[in-house]
Amino acid sequence: MNALQTKPRTVPLSKRGMSFETFMWVFTRVTALAMYGFILVGLIGAIAMGALHEMTFVEVIRWALVSNPGHVESTNVQDIAPWASAFWRTVASGMFLTALAHGIHGVIVIVDDYVASASGRNWNRYISMAMFFVVMGAGLYVIWKA
Amino acid sequence: MEVTVKIFRYNPEKDARGNYVTYKIEAEPTDRILDVLEHIKGKTDGALSFRRSCAHGVCGSDAMRINGRNRLACKVLVRDVGANITIEPLLGMKVKKDLIVDMEPFFNNYKKMTPYLVNNSPLPADGRERLQSPEQRARFDESTKCILCAACTTSCPSFWANDEYFGPAAFVTAHRFIFDSRDEGASQRLMVLAETDGTVRCHTAYNCTDACPREIHITQAIGDLKMAMVTGKLE
Repeated sequence: MNALQTKPRTVPLSKRGMSFETFMWVFTRVTALAMYGFILVGLIGAIAMGALHEMTFVEVIRWALVSNPGHVESTNVQDIAPWASAFWRTVASGMFLTALAHGIHGVIVIVDDYVASASGRNWNRYISMAMFFVVMGAGLYVIWKA
Repeated sequence: MEVTVKIFRYNPEKDARGNYVTYKIEAEPTDRILDVLEHIKGKTDGALSFRRSCAHGVCGSDAMRINGRNRLACKVLVRDVGANITIEPLLGMKVKKDLIVDMEPFFNNYKKMTPYLVNNSPLPADGRERLQSPEQRARFDESTKCILCAACTTSCPSFWANDEYFGPAAFVTAHRFIFDSRDEGASQRLMVLAETDGTVRCHTAYNCTDACPREIHITQAIGDLKMAMVTGKLE
């Protein structure tokens, strides 16, 4: 009898565990991809707006990164009202929240590299989460009230 | 040729902190750094302490920082580093004396990886060995080359910052067994790797790959482990 192992070797999730750290490692990769998606949507919007003739490169980038109507006020686009719609504010909010969560988690990970004590790491999380909520409130206010 | 060798010295019974001592000796360009150290210890300063064993790049005992890079003293020639040589103990570990560091935490992390084959299944019907194809063997071939010299772990900025971090050498050990088709202990190893000080602390600086005297692609091996943790696939 041939004793060669030929079955595919896989370990189910229940037996390999998905710690919070591993989950957040995946989260960081997924949010990075999601940001590329939001930027692509923003670029398509900018082209539809007339980016080739009505906007500078800097304005295109500003809009693509956060599709806030305030970012196209200084352009030659005649009617910016359609670009201040709920859809584009939602896209801007999505990009902003994704980037914020990605960035704050990055800060937590990097600080954790230098702080090994449990209490230090807890403080790192408290301060980072407080920053998260403050910046989130300010950012969403700007996007939806601008 | 005359060689100027600056060596980190520390005697815990006399010194509050380490200092550097400079020696000038005659050496051949083809001499190894280990030969230079032996020369100094034998003819100039018998108190100089360093680890060595096989002296042929197999045992991993004489890993140290040579001109700022982690290398094996027995595999570096004088002509490779020039006439001005600085030799220091590995970074990130407690210095016990001169170039000797405390390897105990390093081997504790190694032990956490269950560094042996786990297989509780009955023997094959013929009662002989568990066979493995060349392709299955090739999957973990690189990680079998590790000599546990600690050059990788002590070159890692994540380890310098946090000595609780398991470190690249422990991950290479995990890789060696997790991807072995005969092994059945992947689950327990993946559980350990998923801990706070596991593979998520690797930020792919690639220092470990540069430092490895066995030229193991360590960062790639850690990437394999991360994918196994996420997908569960061990092929």
